[in-house]
Amino acid sequence: MTDTAISHGAILPRRRVARNPLAPLATLAARRFQLSVRTPRELVVPLLTPILFALVIAPALKEALHTGAGYEALVATGTIGLLIPLNTMFAGLSVIVDRETGAQRELLAAPIPRPLLVLGNLVVAFAITALQVAVLIAAALARGIDFNASGTGIVWFLAATTLFTIGMYGAAETLASRVPKSEEYIARLPAIAIVPWFLAGSLFPITALPAVLTWVAKVLPLTHGLALVRYGLLGDRSGLNNIWNMHSTTLMATLSLAVLAAFAAALTAISIRAFNRSAVG
Amino acid sequence: MQPNSEPVLHLEQPAIEVHQLRKTYAGDVEAVKGIDFRVAPGEVFGLLGPNGAGKSTTIGMLTTTIVPTGGSARVAGFDVVSEPLAARAVSSVVFQDAVVDRALTGRRNLDIHARLWGIDPAAARARTSELADTLALGDLLDRPVASYSGGERRRLEIARALVSQPEVLFLDEPTVGLDPRIRHELLEVIGRLRDRTRITILLTTHYLDEAERLCDRIAIIHSGRIVALDAPSVLLAGLGHELVELRVSGDAETALASLRGRGIAGDDAFTVGSTLTVPLHDRTAGSAIAAIQDADLAASSISTRRPTLDDVYLQLTGARLADAA
Repeated sequence: MTDTAISHGAILPRRRVARNPLAPLATLAARRFQLSVRTPRELVVPLLTPILFALVIAPALKEALHTGAGYEALVATGTIGLLIPLNTMFAGLSVIVDRETGAQRELLAAPIPRPLLVLGNLVVAFAITALQVAVLIAAALARGIDFNASGTGIVWFLAATTLFTIGMYGAAETLASRVPKSEEYIARLPAIAIVPWFLAGSLFPITALPAVLTWVAKVLPLTHGLALVRYGLLGDRSGLNNIWNMHSTTLMATLSLAVLAAFAAALTAISIRAFNRSAVG
Repeated sequence: MQPNSEPVLHLEQPAIEVHQLRKTYAGDVEAVKGIDFRVAPGEVFGLLGPNGAGKSTTIGMLTTTIVPTGGSARVAGFDVVSEPLAARAVSSVVFQDAVVDRALTGRRNLDIHARLWGIDPAAARARTSELADTLALGDLLDRPVASYSGGERRRLEIARALVSQPEVLFLDEPTVGLDPRIRHELLEVIGRLRDRTRITILLTTHYLDEAERLCDRIAIIHSGRIVALDAPSVLLAGLGHELVELRVSGDAETALASLRGRGIAGDDAFTVGSTLTVPLHDRTAGSAIAAIQDADLAASSISTRRPTLDDVYLQLTGARLADAA
């Protein structure tokens, strides 16, 4: 170590906190992105799942079940309902890594509102999930799966996937704040990310389920999300109809979007509260 | 030397001001039981005590990562409960264990800190360069922190805390777990900070030599209470310049009562196991040893030595600091 003096004193003005909150949010998101995607491999490997689904599994199911192109599109869109929960739940693991071996306590000591720590993670989880969904759709299109999306339909699709992703990341962050170890987190992941997928009309209509499970499916945010995705991308209102059974498609879509908005708002609020409670003693 | 009554500091505004600060965890676990102290700007203040004494909880409350259940605390004038952002903006902390993004480079870790503390990027770059030179981090900064040794990582964490030029620096057990050479290096760094800057440092430690070497004043904390607070030299002077230590084969408390009865030991003498420690104050070592031998205590060994902070702690708490830690 050199003998250079460490300067200190009245160089910087005494800082009060009145900064643009977007600046620390951008810093936190950039940090999370760097930690999540340190090499190209870490960005490419997660893309294999959607590509596999769109290029192999959906066409294979179509052949095996002797169905038409409509079913292929149903499976491809249903895959979105698996991609989003899996991505967001795996993103939640980073919260535990931060807490156990990372810089979480340094971030907690920073002069920024602590909800920004959650929101910074959300931004990156959302961006990576959006990339995966985009790749899935691109692969499906490349495979010849026919989407029938209008401009309005794309807006419904984007709104639904955005709100569902935000809500699912809230669930991930909440779970990460409440379980002490990553092993416990992983053990609970299938119940949250995969089980609802089988009930939410991903591969078959929810009306094909036993009556009790049909009602369970109707309250799952994923069911509303998938119904909106199919309405938006395929022009298929049957998912919405299975939930609401109304004449007005727009009203049904609006109601399902409201469910997703409530889901996103509630889970984000709960996740921030859970994070604060677990991080601050 | 009285618990919770410190020497008067003639300050306009203390860098740290703690009044009846208290923390009770769930299950009625009282970690901090109403402590008071003030730290002057530029002072190095030590919280000395064993693990579980309440040191880290106190730092947690001052850095706003633990919510107090009573009392108040101010950092650079900002209340840690009602003005937490302002209190955090003027302070930095080096944690007891590694709290760093290992996958990122050292430079990126410093950069994130600077950005979150709102430091101008150009000033942060200049500051990083200066600190890299001072803390011998120049060759390391562009490597992932995962490749750093323990000492290198700790130096990086100190550099990170200094990038934002805090008014108050919290060092929570900064040398714990480090090998002696690295520990010596870090003590030099902290000593240099103390000598050449106006930064206020609050450090916790259970190493006596660290506290004695670095701190202007020390608060000895035991079971959540401050049992003594003063300059190390004053705390040591309370036990005089020399003390006698003797080991007895019988009951040490009975032996101590005997010495007190003969006027050899005062109220500040104490026992730990079979060992009696008797501050001499004005008495000479020779006359004290002769008097002890006359008392026929069946002492297996008698020796004299200078008092240490361990003796101060022992006398106040009845437990040897190293054992308690």
